Amino acid sequence: MKSAGLIMLAAAVALLASPAVAQNKPAGKDTKLYFIWPHDRTTLRSPFTCRFGLRNMGVTHAGDDYPNSGHHHLLIDVSEPLNPNEPIPSDKTHLHFGAGQTETQLDLAPGKHTLQLVLGDAKHYPFNPPVVSEKITIRVR
Amino acid sequence: MGEIRDFKSGRSQPDNPQPPGNSIPRRLAAIVAGDIAGYSRLMQLDEEGTHTRVKRTVRDLIEPTIGEHHGKLVKTTGDGFIAMFDSPVEAVRCSIVIQQNMIGRNAAIARDHWIEYRIGVNLGDVIIEPDDIYGDGVNVASRLEGIAAPGDVFISGGIYEQIKHKMVCGYESLGDKKVKNITDPVRVYRVLPDAAAYQRTRRRRESILLTLLGLAITIIAGGVLWYLLAQPRSKPADVAQAPPSPAASPAVPQPAPSPAPAPGQAASLVPSAAPTQQASPQAAPSASPAVSMPQPEMVSLQGGSFSMGSNDDPSERPIRKVTVKPFAMGKYPVSVREWNACAAAKACGFTASGKDDAPVTNASWSDAKQYVTWLAEQTKKAYRLPSEAEWEYAARGGTQSKYWWGDQVQPGHAGCKDCGGDAAAEQPVKVGSFKPNPFGLYDMGGGVDQWVEDCWHRNYQGAPADGAVWSGGDCASHVIRSGSWKNDARYVRPANRDNYDTNVRYPTHGFRVALSP
Repeated sequence: MKSAGLIMLAAAVALLASPAVAQNKPAGKDTKLYFIWPHDRTTLRSPFTCRFGLRNMGVTHAGDDYPNSGHHHLLIDVSEPLNPNEPIPSDKTHLHFGAGQTETQLDLAPGKHTLQLVLGDAKHYPFNPPVVSEKITIRVR
Repeated sequence: MGEIRDFKSGRSQPDNPQPPGNSIPRRLAAIVAGDIAGYSRLMQLDEEGTHTRVKRTVRDLIEPTIGEHHGKLVKTTGDGFIAMFDSPVEAVRCSIVIQQNMIGRNAAIARDHWIEYRIGVNLGDVIIEPDDIYGDGVNVASRLEGIAAPGDVFISGGIYEQIKHKMVCGYESLGDKKVKNITDPVRVYRVLPDAAAYQRTRRRRESILLTLLGLAITIIAGGVLWYLLAQPRSKPADVAQAPPSPAASPAVPQPAPSPAPAPGQAASLVPSAAPTQQASPQAAPSASPAVSMPQPEMVSLQGGSFSMGSNDDPSERPIRKVTVKPFAMGKYPVSVREWNACAAAKACGFTASGKDDAPVTNASWSDAKQYVTWLAEQTKKAYRLPSEAEWEYAARGGTQSKYWWGDQVQPGHAGCKDCGGDAAAEQPVKVGSFKPNPFGLYDMGGGVDQWVEDCWHRNYQGAPADGAVWSGGDCASHVIRSGSWKNDARYVRPANRDNYDTNVRYPTHGFRVALSP
């Protein structure tokens, strides 16, 4: 599984990184973060709706510290690895959904793009182990 | 009422000029049927008065509104009308406009003299005659109108399917309804008009009709506004611009359609209240001994025209000329010390940690609003968040280059990831650590992200040119400016803009205050 590989990779990064790991909230068991739409290798037209799926954990507002729940972050064309010891960055390639949104309207330039979801805790930190989706590649016509 | 219901069976048209030999012209149309609830009662009450008022309503409201929505008024009867539209969206919009206007028209008169329309909208294939239309589609529309409550718009399933993704409106499903003389049950939805649709129509129809609409309320609102203006001068702008409480239901994208003047106008009232010369001397809030609290240091700006936006990102287009009125801008972002004075007064939501001289971080837009509201109350000065245009004007410092210091990244000018700063730091460095821009403002770019008053719009299409807060848009998120110490140099550009959820805190988000003269 590609996503399992990613999780392993992220976990490895997490283990290598310093003691701050301890502060990351524990992820739920058998969680799966995934794209309901679009699917990997889809060709589509912009703008399109991107829907986020999450199994075995809940979606809540950023700032709400309920156990076993978090909020979505969508990474567009991000290649650098996730740093588990920092809040998930906020910029034009790291979109935050702190109001508990589970879908968004994307308007991407034509061409190839990668999309990946990362679940963040109340303070925007990734979970431990990180709850991330498979990184999908789409083509915008 | 009866007349509408009978138009199919009733009038044959012997003098119809349409050549009967040809096949009858049919077409698909959105049909709007409306009639006045309790017409007979109204006529009994005041026959001539009612008649005049109904005629006036049709002439001043129904006919022009249908025209504006590219519809055709097919016919009017004593108490009702039938109109035909090519577009279901326009048909429903038109119906909402009529209903909203009637609320305003009724506001000034006694309850039992109210003229209230019931409106039904249906999509159907109709037969077109020169001065009437016929067919099942028309009948269903008038049946829908018949079951609608006064003031309501009922639409059929066919219309709903066409408009559900195109109109920002609430729809309440009423299920399948059996209507008189129609075999199949009709799926019925009640339209719950939203504030945004109402605002749009208001803008389109700046007529006397609408002056009537809020006359009573405007007087009250005007009184309140005047009262607030006479008190701390920042309040009216705040009140008009956004709901002051950080209530967490951002579903409705616009503030309620209050008949008070638009935010821009409210803001512009303020400068006219005070002579412009007062803007020139440096505002030195520390000199006012009445309040012993840390107040942000302000720099007075003369205002003027500048080119807002850039071609570096789609959100910054189109570049346009914007004229900003004189105002004062915080010399630095609001510091932890300044913020914590508000927190100590229990007026701000959290106590900030970190060094006193560092900018406050982890503030949501609503947090920032709480601070400026509190500051304005305490100081009796018109403190507020800057508008997006004011922020960019101040950040450019009279320059039109990529950065305020030129087109190349140079160390020592801003705190950002690749400007020589420490992006791994948990806190930004203290305010004023980098060079000030030509206006004498520090950290306009880099350091902390800074909230402004405006709701998010994805580009400048339709943005105002007077430097005012751009009302409307997606108010579930607001505009952030400046970029933070964790972003790269692209985000430090004065034209750069981004957005974030209104009520969500993030560790790189702070703000600075503005002050109306």
